[in-house]
Amino acid sequence: MTELDIKYIEIGAMILFGIGFSTLLFHGNMIKKIIGMNIMDTSIFLFFITRGYINNKEAPIIINIANSPDSYVRPLPSALMLTGIVVAISMTAFALALTIKLNQKYGTIDLNKIMEMRVDKQ
Amino acid sequence: MIIASSPIIIIFILFFTAFIIPMIKNKTKVKVLSISSIVLCMLLSLLTCIYVYTEGTFIYTVGHWDAPWGIEFQISMIEALLSLTFTTVMTLIIWQSLSTIESEISETKIGLYYSLISVVMASLLGIVYSNDIFNCFVFMEVNTLASCGIIVIKENKENIRATMKYLVLGCLGSGLVLLGIAFLYSITGNLNMTYIHNEIVNIYFDYKNIIVVALGLFTVGLGVKSAMFPLHIWLPDAHSSAPSTSSAILSSLVIKATAIYLIKILFRVFGFGIIKNFYILDIILILGSSGMIFGSLLAIFQKNIKRLIAYSSIAQMGYIFLGIGLGNELGLITAVYHIIAHALTKSALFMIAGIFIHKLGTKSIKDFKGIGKHMPILLGAFTIGALSMVGIPILPGFVSKFNLALACIQAGKYMFLAVILISSLLNAVYYLPIVINGFFNKQDNKSDLNHTNKIQLKEIIPILILIIMMGFIGLSSNSIINLIKLGI
Repeated sequence: MTELDIKYIEIGAMILFGIGFSTLLFHGNMIKKIIGMNIMDTSIFLFFITRGYINNKEAPIIINIANSPDSYVRPLPSALMLTGIVVAISMTAFALALTIKLNQKYGTIDLNKIMEMRVDKQ
Repeated sequence: MIIASSPIIIIFILFFTAFIIPMIKNKTKVKVLSISSIVLCMLLSLLTCIYVYTEGTFIYTVGHWDAPWGIEFQISMIEALLSLTFTTVMTLIIWQSLSTIESEISETKIGLYYSLISVVMASLLGIVYSNDIFNCFVFMEVNTLASCGIIVIKENKENIRATMKYLVLGCLGSGLVLLGIAFLYSITGNLNMTYIHNEIVNIYFDYKNIIVVALGLFTVGLGVKSAMFPLHIWLPDAHSSAPSTSSAILSSLVIKATAIYLIKILFRVFGFGIIKNFYILDIILILGSSGMIFGSLLAIFQKNIKRLIAYSSIAQMGYIFLGIGLGNELGLITAVYHIIAHALTKSALFMIAGIFIHKLGTKSIKDFKGIGKHMPILLGAFTIGALSMVGIPILPGFVSKFNLALACIQAGKYMFLAVILISSLLNAVYYLPIVINGFFNKQDNKSDLNHTNKIQLKEIIPILILIIMMGFIGLSSNSIINLIKLGI
């Protein structure tokens, strides 16, 4: 029980990761795939930042005087996840742009239907 | 020392070129800028190579921040050789594309195309140099997006579908890799590979389960991106529908970079000592050898020449994973040697296929009868490349197969000798018919080959240089393998 109490955020992040991963993999609709991708990435950000959090410590921002380094949470995961967010956003933007093109050329955004079209043609 | 900072200069030059090119309207200026920047990078890589040979492995700290806080570039002989190979192959590909690119993509997009190629190259070299796992991840993402760009630049139906497939699977792979990094960070508190290794040696007994999960995530995530066998499904579509220049870049360079990342994670972050306690290497070994066989089997049934070469890439990536999975030094050296050998061979094959397709106006292999009469030099070059894939002595394909066989015997895994042999025979089954049909069959009357214009010399020279270099690295394989040994 104690494990669950302490690590509930990590567990939530893993559940979200599972939801996002399966949506990305098994849904045919492109928009749902992109949503799944975002859920998956966000869950990883949550997990990463939680690993850098230490109970009862402050945010690592110095106001007037600096305390000892032990009194702050780890700043590195937050900084890394900013980069991660940028990566995820560019992926999302590119995927959305491609979805528009896909709709123009095929008239549908269902990836499964698009794969079938090709089989029929051959 | 200025040469010691050349890695960052190379990456800076390429990103800066990528930034400048879209602003230039004049097509000729774009091409001149693109080729001159990549030639400059090649020369700098050569200097780095010589520097490493004389001074030994060196570490460059970006922004002069020392290791646990800043990002490190660690340049050993392997990194120097790989960057030299990558820049050389890229130079030749760009040189060849200067005269042929107009036939494949529209005039207005040429500036964008060369810009994207610069980004691809910069991020590839970033993955090769960097000693920081998160930095490698960011470069890998940049690389994926830019590679998607050079596929979709053609804007056909096929291209958009193939890019979508690549992007979705790429996202999947990058998510898994990021989660793997999160697990590693949570048990070691570091992102620098050397520091993680120092930490992990002390703690791996306490965190065996987490290490297993992280290893699995890295292997699957990077396996998707480097087309490890059951995760290869995006590759044939993406590589066959892209313009020939892009296919050459994607197949010979882009999928190699993630394999290098996997090698770094397995052998630099975890190290031989820890990795052999987990069964991950056996899984990579089995996936690699099944890729060698099934990639070749699937290639036999292809009617489109570019799809055939793309499936052959899957088989050749199998050799690299086999070398990694054997888990001894010779296997690892051979994997790196095969990365170099395959980069030269596959780029030549794709460029030749591109010229064939352009001149004949068809991608279908059965229309390639009798092309040897019209393009004897090109088909001869194709034959040498194909023979290297099959594994004829002197050529680099033979050297890597021979060394892989020796590594199998050293590791005591005799079953994989048979796999190597079968895969070589299967390679012969799908490459040689093209050559035999091209040289010895009479062409059909209906084909209008006679009317096509002559191939210009400037299109062929880069390909011939690649073939000569291929022969060279096959002949001097011993010294190259000794050089690679310096870096381990």
